[in-house]
Amino acid sequence: MLRQRPFIVEALTAAGLIAAPFILPYLGFTPTTVNRILVWGVFGIGFDILFGFTGLLSFGQSAFFGIGGMVAAYLLTIANFPYVMAALVIGMIAAGIVGYLVGLIALRRTGIYFAMITVAIAEVFFFVEFNPLSAYTGGENGLPGVPTPQLYLGFATIRFDSDSLLYVFLAFWYFVGLVIALRIVRSPVGAVLRAIRDNPVRAAAVGHNIHGYKLTAFVVAAAYAGFAGGLLGVMQGFMPPDAFMFDTSGQLVMQTAIGGAGTLFGPLVGATVWLYLSDFLQTTLDLGATWKLVLGVIFVLLVCFLRRGLIGGIEDLYGLATSSRKKAEPVKDASMVGVTAEEEEKDTATRQPAIAAMPARHRETDRKTGLILQAKGLTKHYGGLAANTDIDFALSHGELRGIIGPNGAGKTTFFKMLTCEVPPTSGQIILEGRNIAGMTVTDVCQLGLTKSYQINQLFNRLTVRQNLTVAALAALRGKFRLDLFKSLKRVPGLDEQVEHTLKLVDLVERADTPVSDLAYGEKRRLEIGLALATSPSLLLLDEPLAGMSPRERVETVRLLKSIARDRTMMIIDHDMDSLFELVERVTVLQEGRVLVEGTPDEIKGNSKVQEAYLGGVHGVLAAE
Amino acid sequence: MSLLEVTGLNTYYGDSHILFDIALRVERNEVVALLGRNGAGKSTTLKSIMGVVTPRDGSIVFDGAEIVGMRSHAIARAGMQLVHEDRRIFSSLNVEENLVLAGLTAENRWPLERIYEIFPRLKERRGGRGTDLSGGEQQMLAIARALIRDPKIVLLDEPFEGLAPVIVHDLVKACRDLADAGQTIVLVEQNLGAALTLAHRAYIINNGHIAHEGPTSEIKARPKVLERYLGV
Amino acid sequence: MINWANFISQCFNGLVLGALLALVSSGLTIIYGMLGVLNLAHGAMFMLGGYAGWLTYSYTDSFIAAVLAGAIFVMIVGVLVERVIIRHFYNRPHEDQLLVTFGLGIVFVETVRFFFGSLSKTVPPPSLLVGITPLGFMFYPTYRLALLGIVAVALLALYVVLYRTRIGMIVRAGIEDSLMVDSLGIDVYKVFMLVFGIGAMAAGFAGIVNAPVVSIAPDVGEAILVQTFVVVVIGGVGSFPGAILGGLIAGEIISITSMFNPGYSYVMLFIAMTLVLVLRPYGLLGTAGRE
Repeated sequence: MLRQRPFIVEALTAAGLIAAPFILPYLGFTPTTVNRILVWGVFGIGFDILFGFTGLLSFGQSAFFGIGGMVAAYLLTIANFPYVMAALVIGMIAAGIVGYLVGLIALRRTGIYFAMITVAIAEVFFFVEFNPLSAYTGGENGLPGVPTPQLYLGFATIRFDSDSLLYVFLAFWYFVGLVIALRIVRSPVGAVLRAIRDNPVRAAAVGHNIHGYKLTAFVVAAAYAGFAGGLLGVMQGFMPPDAFMFDTSGQLVMQTAIGGAGTLFGPLVGATVWLYLSDFLQTTLDLGATWKLVLGVIFVLLVCFLRRGLIGGIEDLYGLATSSRKKAEPVKDASMVGVTAEEEEKDTATRQPAIAAMPARHRETDRKTGLILQAKGLTKHYGGLAANTDIDFALSHGELRGIIGPNGAGKTTFFKMLTCEVPPTSGQIILEGRNIAGMTVTDVCQLGLTKSYQINQLFNRLTVRQNLTVAALAALRGKFRLDLFKSLKRVPGLDEQVEHTLKLVDLVERADTPVSDLAYGEKRRLEIGLALATSPSLLLLDEPLAGMSPRERVETVRLLKSIARDRTMMIIDHDMDSLFELVERVTVLQEGRVLVEGTPDEIKGNSKVQEAYLGGVHGVLAAE
Repeated sequence: MSLLEVTGLNTYYGDSHILFDIALRVERNEVVALLGRNGAGKSTTLKSIMGVVTPRDGSIVFDGAEIVGMRSHAIARAGMQLVHEDRRIFSSLNVEENLVLAGLTAENRWPLERIYEIFPRLKERRGGRGTDLSGGEQQMLAIARALIRDPKIVLLDEPFEGLAPVIVHDLVKACRDLADAGQTIVLVEQNLGAALTLAHRAYIINNGHIAHEGPTSEIKARPKVLERYLGV
Repeated sequence: MINWANFISQCFNGLVLGALLALVSSGLTIIYGMLGVLNLAHGAMFMLGGYAGWLTYSYTDSFIAAVLAGAIFVMIVGVLVERVIIRHFYNRPHEDQLLVTFGLGIVFVETVRFFFGSLSKTVPPPSLLVGITPLGFMFYPTYRLALLGIVAVALLALYVVLYRTRIGMIVRAGIEDSLMVDSLGIDVYKVFMLVFGIGAMAAGFAGIVNAPVVSIAPDVGEAILVQTFVVVVIGGVGSFPGAILGGLIAGEIISITSMFNPGYSYVMLFIAMTLVLVLRPYGLLGTAGRE
C-alpha cells in the first residue's frame, strides 16, 4: 500500500488532515484530544520505523520524547530563546544525538536483551530528569510557560494560540513528518530495514552492514520522538515531567500495536482509538480510572487475535472481500520418479531463452584467468573435535567444482569458513589474491563471495522482487549508505539487476508474489537468486537440491547449468547423480581432510572414495 | 502383526518435502537397518516415527495403535525410544541423574544395576557431569537412557558416528547382545560394516524414497546395490 | 568523613535488597531459561503477591497466612497465565510474546487499582519482629534483618528444589533441552506450566514479604521489573547463580549510591549494566546461545 501508487498516500493524508477538524467534533472528539492524537502520531511515526519496519521493539522511546521536549522547553522558558521552531529543531537534534549514543549500547544485543535494555534506559532517563537535572527540567513540576509558535508573514503575525490554530500547526508538522517517513520507507534504506526485520542474518550475508542500518533507524526514531516531545510542550504551553515516564513508552507501544505496526499510520490510528476511548470511558461512561484497565484488556485481546492491529485487520478483510490474492503455482508432482532429462528438455525448452551473462561487478582484482580462491592449511577445531584439518584447496576462475564426502567429512564447516561465518583455527583463505580469514560475512560478500543456503533464508514478508532488490542494493551501493531520501527507482542499475536475476532463476511471472505464497521449488530458486543478485564472482551453493522431488532436481540442475556460464561455482550436495552431471571437477573430503580430487569419472572409479562411502563393508563382505 | 508399520509417510521441513511416501515395517525381535547417503532422509524417518517432527501425511502404527501426530512424550510412554544423532546428554545433570530422569515415567524401568552391568564404564563415571564423558561413553549413556525405559523398540540414529574403531567394536558387541536378548532395534547408520553385521533386514533410502529393501544376506550377496545408492 | 554506621547500615540494606532482587530475578530467569519467554508481567506479579497478602492479612491478622496466600495466589495466576495465554505464543515471534506479557502486566496493575485504589497499603511486620535490633555499634530494623533471613531461606528452598529434587532435575534438564525431556516421556508442557508458576511465585512471595518494608501500591512492580532486568543482564539470562550474583551486585549498587545521592542509583545501575554488556555480553555467569 505504501509503495504502489506514489503521492496517493500523501494526498489522501493531506485530505484527511484538512477534513478532520470538520468531521471529528461530531464524533465526540474535543479539539485538545485531536491535537494530542497528532502529537502521538508524530511520536509514533519514528517508532513504527524502528519497530514495524526494522523489527526492534524498544520500550525506551520516552527517554527521547522527554529529551526533545525538555531541551526545547528549557530553551524557550528558562533560557529565553525566542524562536519556537528553532527550539523544536534543536530539541529534535539533541534527542537524535542521545539516541545515537544510547543506540551504540542498546543495539549490541537483539531480541529480549534489547527490550530489557530499552526498559532500563527509559527508567534511567526518568530518574535523571527528576533528580540530578531537575534544575533544567523543573523536576516534578515540569516547565511551565512554553510559548506558542508564531509565524511572521511580513504584514501580519499568526500566533498559533488557539486550539484550531494549534491544530493547523500540528497537522502541518505531522504531514511533514509523514512525508519524510514515506520517503525513508521507500528508499534503499527502507528496503534494507525491512530485510533486517525479516532475516537479519541473511541481510548481513548479502552484504549489508546491518548494525549501521539499525543504528540509523534508532536515531530516526529518537529524532521523531524528540520533535514530538517539543510539540507536546508547545501544544500544552507546559512541558510535563511525565513525558519521561515509562508509561509513555508503554502507551506508544500499545497504540502502535493496536493500530498496526509497519504501516506508518498505525500509531495514529492507535492513538485515535486510545485517546478517544479514554475520553469516552472516563467521561461518558463515568468509569473513572478504569479506562486503562479496559484499554489494557483490549490490547491483550488484539495481540492474541488480531496480530497486525486494526489496519492489518482491515487489510485482511479487504483481501477476503475482493479475493484478489493470486493462487500459488500447483506443487510439482512429487511421485514422478524417473522423469527423464530429455522429456524435461522438450517440456521447458521454449520457456528458457538464452540468458546473457549478468553484468559482472567491477572489482579491483578482477581477472578472468588464474585462481579465484585458495585455501592453505585450513583447519577448524571445535574444542576437541577436528572438523577440518589442513585443507589445501585451489579453485580457478570459471570452474564448476563439486564438494562431496561422507557424513562428518566437514563440508559444511569448510563452506562456513570460506564465507567467514566461522573463523578458522588456523590457515589462510585467499580470495582473488586477498587474505580474507577474519573478515565478516558482509565484507566477504562485498568482495564477491556469496553463498546460497541449504535451508531457505528468505525475507518472508517481502515479495520476490523485493527480496532480490535487497540483495542487489548491497551489490550496487556497498555495505552501508545513508541514502534515506532517495527513491528506489533512482538507484542506477537496480532494475536491470533485479530483472536479470528474475530471468536467470525463472521467476519473472512470480515477481510480485509474496514469499509465503510461493511453492517450495520457487522458494529454492529465489534462494539461489538472492545469492546471484549480489553479483558474486564466486558462488557457493550449499545443498541446492535438498528436499526436492525428482522432477525439481532435473529442473534445478538445468538452472544451475545456465547460471554456471561466466561464473565460478562450488556446490555441496549428496545427490551424486545430479551433481556429477553438473560439475567439472570434484573434491572429496573425508573426516575433515581432502581425500582426492578429480573429474566425476575419475572419482566414480576411485576405490578409496568408494571405501570412504561404504566404510567397512568390504571387510564384512570379505568375511562371508 | 508387525510391531511397527509405517505407510505413506510424507514429512516436510517447512515446505521442503523430505520424505516421499515412506513405507516400512519392523517385526518383534528384529534389527532393521535404514541405509542411505547423507541427506537421504534416514534421520528424518526416525524423527517422524518418534514424533520429534510431525509428518504431514501417512500412518504409523505401533503395537497396534496409530501414533502419527502424537507428541513425543506420549510415544515414549507407548514404548518407543529414539537415541538422537547428537546424543543430547544433559550437561546440567550428572551421569546417574541422566539415567534416573530417563526412567522417571517408565512403568517397567530397569534397575540402575542392570544398566551398569551392560555398561560398566557408566558405573565408574556415575557422579561425573554428563558431558564430561568421552564420545564413546556419551553414546553408551544415550543408549542406556533409552534402555532404562524398557522400550519395546529402540531407534538408533547413527550411534557409531565419530567414534574410534575400538569403541565402535565394543558398542557393536553391546548392541548385538541386546538384539540377541530380543530387543527390537531400528538402526540408521552410515558405517555399513556395523549396520550389516547387526541387522537382519535393511531398507535403502535415496532422496527421500525407499529405493530397496531386503534381508541383509541378500544385500551382502549383491553389493552393487549398495554402490548404486550409497557410493559415488 | 563517612558515617561508618550509616555505611554499614546501607550495606545491609543493599544485602536485603539484593537478596530480594535475587529471588525475583531467579523467577524471571528460570521462566526465560525454560520457556524462552521474557515475562514483562513479572513486576506485576510481585505486586499481586503483596496485595493478596495484604487482603489476607486484613481478614486473618496473620502474617504467616498473608505470606502463604501471596505466594500461592500468584503461583496459581502464573499457572493459569501459561496455560491459557502464553502457551499459544511459543511459535509466535518474540516481539508478540513481549507484547502480550506487557499487556498482561498492565491488566494486573489496573485491576488492582480498580479494586483497591491507588493509595498505598501497609502490612505491618509480625509483632515478633517489630522494632530495632542492636548490632554492636548500630541499630538495625528487626524486620529487615529477618527479611534477609526469610529471603535467604526462600532462595535456599529454590536451590534445593532445583538441585536436589526430581522435579528440579526435570526443570534443569528442560532449561537445557526441553525437546529431549519430552522424548524421555515427560510432558514438557506440564513442566512449562509448573515453571511459570514457580517463577511467578518467587515474585509474589517477594512481594508480600517486602510489604512491611515498602508499602504496596499498584505501581510498586514497575521499579522491581526494571531492577530485575538489570540483574538478569548482569548475571546472565537463564542462570540461577547469575541471578543471585547479579541481584547482590545490583542491591549494593543501589543502596550505596543512595547514600550519596538517591537520584543517581539508577544511573550507576545502568553504567554497571553497560559495562557488563561491553565486557561480557552474555552476563557474568551466562552462556552464549541464549538470546
